[in-house]
Amino acid sequence: MERRSFLKGFGAVSACAALVPSIVSAADEAKKVTGPNEMSVESALAAITGGKPVTPSTKVSLSAPEIAENGAVVPVKVSVESPMSANDHVKAIHVLATKNNNVRCANVYLTPANGEASFATRIKLGTTQDVLAIAELSNGTFLSAKQNVKVTIGGCG
Amino acid sequence: MKTLIKIKPKDYKVGDIVKVDFMAMHPMESGMRKDKDTGQIVPAHYINEVNFLFNDKMLTKMITWESLSVNPVLTISLKVSGAGTLKVLAKDNKGDNVESSVAITPKG
Repeated sequence: MERRSFLKGFGAVSACAALVPSIVSAADEAKKVTGPNEMSVESALAAITGGKPVTPSTKVSLSAPEIAENGAVVPVKVSVESPMSANDHVKAIHVLATKNNNVRCANVYLTPANGEASFATRIKLGTTQDVLAIAELSNGTFLSAKQNVKVTIGGCG
Repeated sequence: MKTLIKIKPKDYKVGDIVKVDFMAMHPMESGMRKDKDTGQIVPAHYINEVNFLFNDKMLTKMITWESLSVNPVLTISLKVSGAGTLKVLAKDNKGDNVESSVAITPKG
């Protein structure tokens, strides 16, 4: 290899090497747009349960589409089997979208006057992720249900 | 914020469990979206509290976040214990307060 071509090649490589990190860091910074209420699943769970265990249960039914074409409108329905009496009722239903910037969607505090522990709404999902429903019972235990939703077009643009 | 309350089904008796749909016209800005024309981030603007009261007694309290869709619909159940008024108080993070109500009139 001639000295001239070697230097040319070397120069090109080093120029690329110099460019790559700057591209990566720019992409990282672009991704770093954070919402005003950013919260991770771990801290949201800790805030809801206060460190108590959450058991997955078939008593909680979470219905959400398996594939959502539009992440901006994803219908979510949660219902919990419960007699809803004064002594035995569902105190709260929490809906979490595990990969959104702020995972919390809604905390719904129910009373026995509801007659039925159910909640439905439509949420935004940024990417493909798990939707998590946590039910807090009047005896202080926490039950959960989870469903993966594949999102083709993100809803947090 | 414009709101609407719907009771489903339309005909119900005392003791029935009905669905209450609360709808609000609201942009539900997440605070992460960039305006396409100006390139500025649109500040967060979302409903953060919705209270359902039946005859002035707390039925359901909701704390909501920006992850709800634009023009959210919130559905809960209500066991009809008699005639009365269902009142819904909604607040957003910019201090907009809206109170709306619907009469509960069981038949038979």
